[in-house]
Amino acid sequence: MSVNKYVSDLTPRIIPCLDVAAGRVVKGTRFKQLVDMGDPVELALKYEQQGADELVFLDIKASVDKQPSALAMVTAVAMSLSIPFAVGGGIKTMDDVHRFFHAGADKVTLNTMAVSEPDLINQISRQYGSQSIVVAIDVNREADGELAIYTHGGSQKAALDYHQWVREVVDRGAGEILLTAMHKDGTGSGFDCELLAAFGTDYPVQIIASGGAREPKDFYDAIKAGADAVLAAGIFHRNEYSVTDIKDYLIKKNITMRTTL
Amino acid sequence: MKPVIIIDLNSGNLLSLENALRRNDLPLSRIQQPEAYDFSGDEILVLPGQGRFAFISERMNDLGWRHFLTDWISRGGHLVGICVGMQILFEGSDEDPKAAGLGYFQGRCQRLQHPKTPMVGWARLDSDKLNMKDQYAYFVNSYAVSDSPSCTAKVTYGQSFCVAVQKNRVFGFQFHPEKSGRFGRELLHHVCQ
Repeated sequence: MSVNKYVSDLTPRIIPCLDVAAGRVVKGTRFKQLVDMGDPVELALKYEQQGADELVFLDIKASVDKQPSALAMVTAVAMSLSIPFAVGGGIKTMDDVHRFFHAGADKVTLNTMAVSEPDLINQISRQYGSQSIVVAIDVNREADGELAIYTHGGSQKAALDYHQWVREVVDRGAGEILLTAMHKDGTGSGFDCELLAAFGTDYPVQIIASGGAREPKDFYDAIKAGADAVLAAGIFHRNEYSVTDIKDYLIKKNITMRTTL
Repeated sequence: MKPVIIIDLNSGNLLSLENALRRNDLPLSRIQQPEAYDFSGDEILVLPGQGRFAFISERMNDLGWRHFLTDWISRGGHLVGICVGMQILFEGSDEDPKAAGLGYFQGRCQRLQHPKTPMVGWARLDSDKLNMKDQYAYFVNSYAVSDSPSCTAKVTYGQSFCVAVQKNRVFGFQFHPEKSGRFGRELLHHVCQ
């Protein structure tokens, strides 16, 4: 039997992200100015039908307002979808984690709490497996060119070194890293391919690229730079492109995408 | 319609699986111990698996399933194992070398060779079976059986491995049909009839 550790039948995933506030999907620009985008279950089903490989729900208000996320919404989504989805925002304790999984989530996403209580990553990974924990890292390229980590929906700068933090979340058991380049988010200037390429083919966890998608070529560039999955929100919610449009483009560019027969 | 019984080893959330299996005319239940149901032998057992191999192996002992299932499959009973629920049908796993599987299929699970483990995501099935051929399935696993005479589908991740097995009325799927879109739901309905 031939073993080449890099050969893989896995297809890069296209992941629509639904930012949820008070039971509605919202979209902000650079994490601000929230605009109503619709009902979470309806949008989730629409994206599944378009060929989305996975969905991410982030309750961005919960992290700011210290409100628990709507578990009822998670269950409603779980009962409707037949593809995997992750939820994040408002997770403070292992009890919250249990509730989200019990409500039907496949994965949880930690951002602010990963920074303020990193041992939660270890606990979730130990109990549910590393595949069930996605650590979201919001990184901003500052005016001086340095990379800074932000929490609380992008409003607070953390006293963390970017490279050390990435290494730490992997060591603690994160199964995937959702890397959002804040300096690209909502600007439509493409993903930060330089940051993505720095991970390399031997990197032990999958990298989900996020922030800055404007057109299909941006997805192509991110995948070529090494992203295992690409996440976007606005271009899908505003109906500028469907997931099908993105996949059709990538297939034409010889990237293998999951299709449904 | 034959009743479908989900074996609940308390190893995770069964909502998606129940949801995927549910059909109007299909009796569906979930039980934790074999004594909790009056089996006629005509039921379809579904064995989901989340978590470590050893956990599933120990729960089988503690809840009385090991003896029951060994007997069930040796009498030609209908069983569908998913993920670690498929792995446990083999002899063992390098994940927990001391934990025993049911040994219905020969072979052991080995760690996947790819640098990124667990394998998470969608892969196209290499299969001659019409209901799986060229379909994309959703995977979440770090261990797998490299090959089996009963293999009905394969994928490659660092190495080629066996993602579906069938012998008599015992089916195993390394991927998650309940998370594999419409294809997965149809596959579950097909093997649960």
